[in-house]
Amino acid sequence: MDKELLLKKLEGLHTLDTVAEAIHIKKQSALNLLSGLKKEGYVTVSGGRQQKRFYKITARKQRKRDKGMFDIINKYSPMKLAPWYDHQVHGHYGPEEALIDAIQTQSFRAILASLRLFNHITDWGKLHRLAKEKGCWQKVGALYDVSRLYFRVRKMPPYKYKAKKWQNLTQLKKLNFPHIAKKWHVYMPFNEKDMGELL
Amino acid sequence: MISYEDQMNIFELIGKAISKDIECYAFGGTAMMFYGYKDETKDIDLLFEDEDLRNEFVEAIKNLGFDETALVNIYIPEKLGDKNAPRMFKRDDSRFDIFLKKIFKTAMSPRMKEDLYAVHDFKGKNNLRVKVLGKEFIVLLKAVTERDRDFEDILTIVKKEKNFDWQYLIDEVLWQYNHGDSWVLLDAEKMIKELKKYIFIEQKYLKELYSAKK
Repeated sequence: MDKELLLKKLEGLHTLDTVAEAIHIKKQSALNLLSGLKKEGYVTVSGGRQQKRFYKITARKQRKRDKGMFDIINKYSPMKLAPWYDHQVHGHYGPEEALIDAIQTQSFRAILASLRLFNHITDWGKLHRLAKEKGCWQKVGALYDVSRLYFRVRKMPPYKYKAKKWQNLTQLKKLNFPHIAKKWHVYMPFNEKDMGELL
Repeated sequence: MISYEDQMNIFELIGKAISKDIECYAFGGTAMMFYGYKDETKDIDLLFEDEDLRNEFVEAIKNLGFDETALVNIYIPEKLGDKNAPRMFKRDDSRFDIFLKKIFKTAMSPRMKEDLYAVHDFKGKNNLRVKVLGKEFIVLLKAVTERDRDFEDILTIVKKEKNFDWQYLIDEVLWQYNHGDSWVLLDAEKMIKELKKYIFIEQKYLKELYSAKK
């Protein structure tokens, strides 16, 4: 069978048995076929040992990934995000960068989920520098204060700030958490119920 | 030819060489490699929205040994005189086609900017952000550029994709037509007619193109 047709027919998640059954070949032949396709990059394997092996087969080659914003947020936050694009960073990337990137998306869910990253910030100086470069220190400060209301967060060293003109985190111009919003001049789109998703 | 590994190495080197953050959009063979549709490409197609950022990028690739070259023999004669034709840079077998603001008459629509397939950040002192366009846009832009082997690439994409959204592509063609791209209907019609020799595409999509022309 033509390789393209074969891949299209097999596209999806399989076990050895389902591959053999789908194209009417013996198990050993299916294993040889999967091994060849894996070498070419069309198959990735998960499971093994006591678990059943799963073969993820795609018509496109599966490239090796580097971690990006969604990977970092999903690692540390109880609120998981379904990525709407594949973000990868080639080079050093940690919670500090991911937090700034999440703010830059202006996405309600990404920013809310990223609040949990404050507990994994180890280099506050770097966060401050990155936020200053992107002009979003006010937003970082406001989000930090909100996160401290709901869960344990490492203490941030005091940085001088001067609240400038009002900034939006998302398109919503809401004044939730008014004392924090007014302190930082940042419209706060989340309410107490939204914060429940992070607990 | 540029392999996927070469492409990643080149971007990483550029990420280290630039003196400010740069953002660009990848389409054509470059985008196809990010997707995993193919393993090598003749050229790296990029579009910049800001001239200063484009110039900064050009300086970086010049420092890597790429020299500017003429577009002759790469693009069809009708496209060569276009004011939005790309600047081309070559080094051995590797080539950059660098567009500014438009790909010939085709502009970056809001949907093109929003519905990205991937964003790759290459971090050095500064950040090179390469935004990879969605598959429907890659096909449309391949139809527009009309270079050698562009049709083969289109065929590869539509054959490999189970969920290729033809309506989405037609909507984009109509948006481009309504925003001043006078060639796009003809390019899309030509592509769909050619593709119908290999795969099944519903006639209604061609009808939509014809009704837009009236």
